Amino acid sequence: MAATPAAASEPQFPLPSILNNPASAPPLLIAQGAEGRLYKTTYLVPDLACAVKYRPPKPYRHPVLDVRLTKARLSSEAKVLDRCARDGVPVPALYAIDAAGGWMALEWIDGPPVRQGINDWLGARPETDTTHADEQVDQTPLVDLMRRIGTVMGALHRTGVVHGDLTTSNMMLRPWKDGQGQNEGGEGTVLDGDVVLIDFGLATQSQSDEDRAVDLYVLERAFASTHPRAEAYFEYVLKAYGKTFKKAPSVLVKLADVRMRGRKRSMLG
Amino acid sequence: MPDSQGRRIALGCEGSANKLGIGIIAHDASGAAHVLSNVRHTFVSPPGTGFLPKDTAHHHRAFFVRVAKQALRDAGIAVSALDCICFTRGPGMGGPLTSVAVGARTLSLLWGKPLVGVNHCVGHIEMGRAITGAANPVVLYVSGGNTQVIAYAEQRYRIFGETLDIAVGNCLDRFARTLEISNDPAPGYNIEQLAKQGGRVLLDLPYAVKGMDCSFSGILGRADELAALMRTGGKGPDGEDFTPADLCFTLQETIFAMLVEITERAMAHVGSNQVLIVGGVGCNERLQDMMGKMAAERGGSVYATDERFCIDNGIMIAHAGLLAYETGFETALEESTCTQRFRTDEVFVKWRN
Amino acid sequence: MALKSTTLENCPWGALVHLALFHDVTNAAFLHSQLLARNPEYEYAFIDASAIFSELQLLSAAYRAINAAATSALQTPNVHSEVILSLSPNNNIADAYRRWGISPKTTSLIVIKIIFHDSPSFPGPQPSAPEVWSTISRLVSGTPVDPFSDAAVRRETDWATVRKYYKLNGVPALQAIADDAARQQKMEQLAIMGMALRGL
Repeated sequence: MAATPAAASEPQFPLPSILNNPASAPPLLIAQGAEGRLYKTTYLVPDLACAVKYRPPKPYRHPVLDVRLTKARLSSEAKVLDRCARDGVPVPALYAIDAAGGWMALEWIDGPPVRQGINDWLGARPETDTTHADEQVDQTPLVDLMRRIGTVMGALHRTGVVHGDLTTSNMMLRPWKDGQGQNEGGEGTVLDGDVVLIDFGLATQSQSDEDRAVDLYVLERAFASTHPRAEAYFEYVLKAYGKTFKKAPSVLVKLADVRMRGRKRSMLG
Repeated sequence: MPDSQGRRIALGCEGSANKLGIGIIAHDASGAAHVLSNVRHTFVSPPGTGFLPKDTAHHHRAFFVRVAKQALRDAGIAVSALDCICFTRGPGMGGPLTSVAVGARTLSLLWGKPLVGVNHCVGHIEMGRAITGAANPVVLYVSGGNTQVIAYAEQRYRIFGETLDIAVGNCLDRFARTLEISNDPAPGYNIEQLAKQGGRVLLDLPYAVKGMDCSFSGILGRADELAALMRTGGKGPDGEDFTPADLCFTLQETIFAMLVEITERAMAHVGSNQVLIVGGVGCNERLQDMMGKMAAERGGSVYATDERFCIDNGIMIAHAGLLAYETGFETALEESTCTQRFRTDEVFVKWRN
Repeated sequence: MALKSTTLENCPWGALVHLALFHDVTNAAFLHSQLLARNPEYEYAFIDASAIFSELQLLSAAYRAINAAATSALQTPNVHSEVILSLSPNNNIADAYRRWGISPKTTSLIVIKIIFHDSPSFPGPQPSAPEVWSTISRLVSGTPVDPFSDAAVRRETDWATVRKYYKLNGVPALQAIADDAARQQKMEQLAIMGMALRGL
């Protein structure tokens, strides 16, 4: 592997101009991808947390093209979120958007990513080999979470949206309110919470079986590489998806095709 | 066997498209590569036409002996000094590939040297790494036949993104035909020169990136339509006339932005800040410039080679072949076939960690 | 003082947003006529309270209007008319004025005044909160609600109108929620989202 750059040589990113305005606390850089950067800050009042997604201008791109793409992508992401929100797919609410300024402000979703929840769950059970759905260990909370993910995926696809970049890092576990726990017996677990989908930067509106199958396949691959010990539980996602979404059967047939192609291409990531 | 100075020497034959290249490389005891010779002869078709497999294959057969002799003369070595004969197995055009493979087999039998079949794309990547010193870059491989974003992991060059239809170089070549721009020395080079005179206006072309993949056929179709519009006196978005130079400028700005975008996405994905551009389109200075700006913003840098190495050549086949040969790899005569489809990630890269 | 004055998080131009709510307004027709005549003395956002459901909704509109002013993106004559437009989920300006703006029949009125304390477009000293309040209470004939509060705003809400204006009838996300309080919360969220999405 090439040497990773030292922290000192990390480029310092300028804030979007909107975050140079006064606020009760400085913005916190949460994530920095190829697309843009995500900050945690506040919206309107000090106790309303929000996520600001910023797509900075790309210096390599012709300015006309740059403005066109930034606007189109932010606007498309916002429309997808609106569509999901109105159809009851759990996504962050949109608070504000300035497509020309390259930013939008979204509801801050409390809770850990699903990735962390599953890792914590598995980490607390180091002796368990879950690859063969061990009957002796109670995996009910994990199965329940898989089902909730499948249900959310079904709802997403039913509404005519494909996410385009599904991983367990792009799903949050929003804590249940008191007494909302759906587990029998009352004891909470690290897998509790409503599954909320985030980061729709690559999402598109599509009704095609192919696009939906690829969406599932991307999640399946990400799940297998992120949580190899829980891979056997992914089937519960697909089962719940099948129950939630009327057109699931043809998507799942397509998924088998996509898996075959995927192996042939032997791609990574 | 290493020679008295501890060197190993290989001759490489390349002819997957319209360039016939034969080169000779030496790896010294430390593993450093030294180019002893690098000879190329290009089949140039008239303006408005592309190179056809049959004519190109004929060209390679006609020039093989001349180019091989020149390569040996330039290197100043005896045939006996060669350790192996390397040749391109694919991917590429069937006829031209086969012509050169026949030549390589003949040399192998004539001189009693083992054959080493090489993946053309891996040849580009290894030569690029050797010339630039980029240790573990994300690689953008862009040529007339290929458009791939590649990163190395676990003994393979993994393809993270690629074109979903035609290659970027093919898009440029075909647009050069639309504008009837000369194919000498290369259509892409002439588009690049013409684009430098454009830029007054950016015309509207589709932008087709999907994740780390991209596609060019829709863009080419729209560019062809705009060319037709230009000939009939149509106006640009500013209500003014536009020129072939404006079209070339717009085409480059659009498709290069797509390439840089998917490369950046792959860099973010694997956490790398080095990028290496290889393949014929990699000679384009505007593409290098745009890639450099992106890499600089990520605190890294872009590595590119000049036309001797980024355009198809024999030396890269010799180099990649010798790397494999040094790990004990040989291609038996009866298995020394060519294949038009040969994915970069099919090669087991034994020579890297 | 029945005037609520607040800064907003990450807000350009050092804007201070002043809000007040009046009951039993008797001079709505006059105020409306002054707006139509573009009398600069009456440059306020005069909002009919019936389609307003929360302070957050008002602040969202104010924030959007302020950002539009600060980025030279106003679609209406000034930041106060822009507040009215910013309450609407669609780009029809006349429609926005008619639905959210004051009408001659308005009796419950919300007044917003935005003062920029750090703007190149508004140099020099700006009126203080007491000065703003003294002007508003002079212009509006009605009973100020003291203190201005979210609860007071919510008492004026006509939910049928809100649902109609923000196209919230028959929305699956709302039909799926059984709990009244949760459904109303979602409804408010969707309405504010509709405001943000205007013009996309």
